[in-house]
Amino acid sequence: MASRLPLLRRISKLFKAPPPAPLRSSRRSLSLRFLLPQAPTPNVSPWSFASSRSFCSGPLNIPQDSQGPAPIDYRSVLLEDEFHGLANSTIHDLQEKLEEYGDVVELDGFDVDYGNEVLTLKLGALGTYVMNKQTPNRQIWLSSPISGPSRFDWDHNAQAWVYRRTKANLLKLLESELEQLCDQLQRKITSNRFQSISIVAYLEIVHVIVLVTGRRYDI
Amino acid sequence: MLRLVAKRLLGTASGDIPSRPLQILPRLYHENVIDHYNNPRNVGSFDKNDPNVGTGLVGAPACGDVMKLQIKIDEESGKIVDACFKTFGCGSAIASSSVATEWVKGKSMDEVLTIKNTEIAKHLSLPPVKLHCSMLAEDAIKAAVKDAEAKRAKTNATLKGADVKSG
Repeated sequence: MASRLPLLRRISKLFKAPPPAPLRSSRRSLSLRFLLPQAPTPNVSPWSFASSRSFCSGPLNIPQDSQGPAPIDYRSVLLEDEFHGLANSTIHDLQEKLEEYGDVVELDGFDVDYGNEVLTLKLGALGTYVMNKQTPNRQIWLSSPISGPSRFDWDHNAQAWVYRRTKANLLKLLESELEQLCDQLQRKITSNRFQSISIVAYLEIVHVIVLVTGRRYDI
Repeated sequence: MLRLVAKRLLGTASGDIPSRPLQILPRLYHENVIDHYNNPRNVGSFDKNDPNVGTGLVGAPACGDVMKLQIKIDEESGKIVDACFKTFGCGSAIASSSVATEWVKGKSMDEVLTIKNTEIAKHLSLPPVKLHCSMLAEDAIKAAVKDAEAKRAKTNATLKGADVKSG
């Protein structure tokens, strides 16, 4: 908690810098310091093919990165319990951080909802994120107002949720998109539109970034 | 007293319990989705052994979504002359694959690979939770094209082999 105060001071300094260009560069340097927290290492026992999965033959198994569905590496198939443990901890972690943030500030139309194992994050006019588990595929599915739908698999080597087609990391993607939303708000501020709401929202969005990847600041 | 309790439970007690107004659901299917659901275009199947037919089968029953999209290629021009689909899934999935079959007709195989799930989603005004259906439709198109190309390559290879033998 205490570590957030100097950060907020830094954020307000950033905000006071007049031209947008230096602002952008200093925000970039801020984001570079965001190292993602290490996910817990699961005790993965030898995989076993879950009988509940039935995948279509042919097209799905042809390896190709840019076109069509990604190939499945059966050696890294998670057992269902392990998948639930990992996915639940990721989603609950995010949910807690987002709720914390929601309690502290008030963005117009902000809402975090977790029901039926689906996490919904509403950012008012900026759009809605929906995150859920897709158990048969051992994936976390994300729907983003910026990047659309993505499906993340657990990568043992990276110890993270990765979207095979774009190699995107779940937390990194959320972080960069929230930064992008920040940029959008920043442009609105400098163009003198929606000033009162945007100023608060800008600080709030950056705050979310801190919370989402915030473990670094607890050191 | 029991009778009164029962009446209250059943909601027939006069005056005490106000009648609840009908709750209008905030989320509705867009009219384009309803249209495609009620009047789906190009439902059916082609003979998958036809060398000019490409079949894309994506999804999994366990996930609740399976799409089969087939395209018929014209031998000479290499363009898609006909398409059909069969989908097991929600209204948005059915609509997405129906739209996909409409959009691929008359285009070349390279051109249809540029069809993005975002365009399908925008056309149908899909809510965030249903964007995955549009992605599946895009995957179905890609899978069908891939199959068609593989078949063409195979046919060409066989023809070349036959030429060499006869020549």
